[in-house]
Amino acid sequence: MSDLDKAIAQLRACRPIPENQVRELCYKARELLIEEGNVVSVDAPVTICGDIHGQFHDLMELFRVGGDVPETNYLFMGDFVDRGFYSLESFLLLLCLKVRYPDRITLIRGNHESRQITTVYGFYDECLRKYGSANVWRYCCEVFDYLALGALVLGASTELAPTNASIAADSQASLAEMEDVEIEILNSAGQIMNRLGRLPKQDQSQMTNPSSSPSQTQEASQNGAPGTGASGSSGGSSGNSTGAVLCVHGGLSPLIDTIDKIRLLDRKQEVPHEGAMCDLLWSDPDDIDGWGLSPRGAGFLFGADIVKCFNQKNDLSLICRAHQLVMEGFKEMFDNTIVTVWSAPNYCYRCGNVAAILELSEDGSNAGYAPRSNGDVGRSNGILQDRTPEQIMGPGRRYRVFDAAPQDSRGMPAKKPVADYFL
Amino acid sequence: MSSSQDQGGRQSTFLGRLDRSKPHSFSIPAKKINDGDDLAFFLASTAYRDLIIWLLQLNRSMFPTRDDDGKIAPSDLTLPPPYSVRIQSLQRIMQALAGLIDKAPPNTGPRRFGNVAFRDWFKLAETEAAGLLQQNLGDALQLESEEGNEALGGELIAYLLGSFGSAQRLDYGTGHELSFLAFLGCLWKLGVFEQGEERGIVMGVVQPYLELMRTLILTYTLEPAGSHGVWGLDDHSFAPYIFGSAQFGPAIDPKAVNMPVPTEGSLQAAPSPSTVVKKDIVADYKDSNMYFAAIQFIYDVKKGPFWEHSPVLYDISDIKDGWGKINKGMLKMYAAEVLGKFPVVQHFPFGSFFAWERDEMALRQTSSVHMQQQPAVSKDVAQPPTRAVGTTAPWAQAGRTTGSGMSGMQASTRMATMRAPWAGNATAPLRPMSSTTSNVTTAPWATASRPALPGLGIVSTAVPWSAGQRGTQPPPPTGAPWAKKEEARR
Ligand SMILES: [Mn+2]
Repeated sequence: MSDLDKAIAQLRACRPIPENQVRELCYKARELLIEEGNVVSVDAPVTICGDIHGQFHDLMELFRVGGDVPETNYLFMGDFVDRGFYSLESFLLLLCLKVRYPDRITLIRGNHESRQITTVYGFYDECLRKYGSANVWRYCCEVFDYLALGALVLGASTELAPTNASIAADSQASLAEMEDVEIEILNSAGQIMNRLGRLPKQDQSQMTNPSSSPSQTQEASQNGAPGTGASGSSGGSSGNSTGAVLCVHGGLSPLIDTIDKIRLLDRKQEVPHEGAMCDLLWSDPDDIDGWGLSPRGAGFLFGADIVKCFNQKNDLSLICRAHQLVMEGFKEMFDNTIVTVWSAPNYCYRCGNVAAILELSEDGSNAGYAPRSNGDVGRSNGILQDRTPEQIMGPGRRYRVFDAAPQDSRGMPAKKPVADYFL
Repeated sequence: MSSSQDQGGRQSTFLGRLDRSKPHSFSIPAKKINDGDDLAFFLASTAYRDLIIWLLQLNRSMFPTRDDDGKIAPSDLTLPPPYSVRIQSLQRIMQALAGLIDKAPPNTGPRRFGNVAFRDWFKLAETEAAGLLQQNLGDALQLESEEGNEALGGELIAYLLGSFGSAQRLDYGTGHELSFLAFLGCLWKLGVFEQGEERGIVMGVVQPYLELMRTLILTYTLEPAGSHGVWGLDDHSFAPYIFGSAQFGPAIDPKAVNMPVPTEGSLQAAPSPSTVVKKDIVADYKDSNMYFAAIQFIYDVKKGPFWEHSPVLYDISDIKDGWGKINKGMLKMYAAEVLGKFPVVQHFPFGSFFAWERDEMALRQTSSVHMQQQPAVSKDVAQPPTRAVGTTAPWAQAGRTTGSGMSGMQASTRMATMRAPWAGNATAPLRPMSSTTSNVTTAPWATASRPALPGLGIVSTAVPWSAGQRGTQPPPPTGAPWAKKEEARR
């Protein structure tokens, strides 16, 4: 067993690794990340995850529901740290997995992967408490500077990978009959809770939030026996390729109208307080026209028109982002052109939300295959040359929804010395 | 205005009062803290001094008492002192504000987190505030001139309405709690309260205020302002931990007002601090003690192991030197984490009661620690707090050195602050927003208005609901101190 595998095993048990190992890990991770472009290309199939915020036990639940690394190909959209009790264990585990299986896990930067934010929102305090010094915090911050700003998922299919999943007991049996499924929602037991058929393009405006409007026309499809989720398997779906899917933590920037412009940024720095890099990590979609000021004090609000225009110009079928708590775990907006994925269940121990991950399956023809490439400025999306942008169909989307991990198995740590105030 | 009497460099035990026989010009409180230098000024201001005096004055009143015969009287919410007419008036105001919840039922439709119906409640509160003050405290507040009366009302209302959270962001935190303490401090300065009825103020007004806030938080799922998740003392509040720990401290002689309050030991009958992890014991004390009432609220809203969702309180529960020690620690922590934190106090407005004036008695201005997390200090803004010589703690002491009343209340920095780092009042226009603003991380550097993006037609407007800025112009867009690009790290 290599040292790295040992570290992974230790972190999976939620035990921090020694400081010198952290330093070594962060050094290796930086060497790896420095080779990645600002926008990493990722091939479907891939499972896309949103904010984690140090909820380690819920991250373990995520892996249980979505499949383990390296069997499942993962893309995490940032905000690994802050607020939760286990930012350190969560981030270091993800980083170990990245170093161990670099082609099976992609980590992009969230607004919390920043020196300034982590000193205010908890990660700094956590490192201090767990190591007695800020060294580990410093090593991690150096890695943050090298994380990619976005990812482009290529080769996702318009159809869902076949599944053996059964219909959840409290869902309509007729779901099994449905054809041309665009969206499928599964519970943490891998059972189908809902399916939504692909609508003719002109009707898509009706599909705002699938989980809150489950009353769509449902058609026949095939039911399979209960079994494993299809996550990460090369299911061989015969669907058509869809446009690329842009994944970014926050959203769009008024300074960025093409993905190539993201590629040109100098990302290897602390997240600036304004500008394109800041906006990508801080912005939020909102029901407005155009751009608006963000109440966060960083980034912007952007409306449906902005998203539709950006997607068309960049041959995107979907923007996938995180950054905002959604009670149902995911929320599609603006005629399914953008989705928020949130992966921290019962956020902060009290929000009562469920979490979700999004699985995109692989286009059977493999037409979208492109090796992970670095700094590939100017790459054009060749698969779409023969279709007009308006015709891009969204990828088949399988959401797996899960609750917070049970708490009974967690051990209680020793009490730590209190802060100076109380001495 | 400088209304507190300093006696030979000692900090006063009682907040000074206004001489109502002399003319006084009230003023609508305005935001003054826009950057780290302003914070340093605040920490050496008369407003800061007065807030500390007022807090310590209220804190002292919450200790159990021992009479001349050695008989000990507990400090118990179920055994409050008789409430004066004025305290009853304030209770009616709290009840009236709570009653407004019925007129602003929470929206039941899909939402992200915070409930936008809170904005309806807030609007009602804004509409009613002046009338409620006039109706219930009118006799105590009368001035000769109508303009003077109006200005006074405006000053009080700014602090009162600043106490209930942010209607725009749908959040609530310690900065809002501070505004309520300041509101009561204004009333004290005006002579609304008698000396000796401080415990009545805490038990009869502060506690009902905290209960109203808990109802508002639950009804409208208000977010912790600038939540630090598990790494803050509490998601929303701080004051109950100060006053509640005093309640279980050793008994004091109520007449010895210049004696420092005990900084260790406990009332003999008090439960051990370690019992906060036991839900049944917390339930036993939640109605009599403010600390336990606050812990009970945590148990009500959080799922999961206490040590995990509340590690700071969990660590404190291990303190062996009693509730007096905890009380002292809470006061120090409050000075550092609430009053000393830019993200929290930047919203605090200054008027004639809490004045933006240098306190000549503040011997030395605070050094750099407080400025670690605010704009415009160093290029390397996010370096962790500097260490003081001779201590291993990274949350090194800063040095506001003050009179003896402040003994041991050095400012320092450690746990993440409780309240939203900046999200300045004027960052965004209040629009009908259906889906944004709750549970968000706000950028700790934003101070006031951000510069509009050229060519995008973004206009930064004043926020009409902002209590701190009623009737005032929003501050001009501050030159963004962070715009300076940080040095490359390596
Ligand atoms: Mn975020």
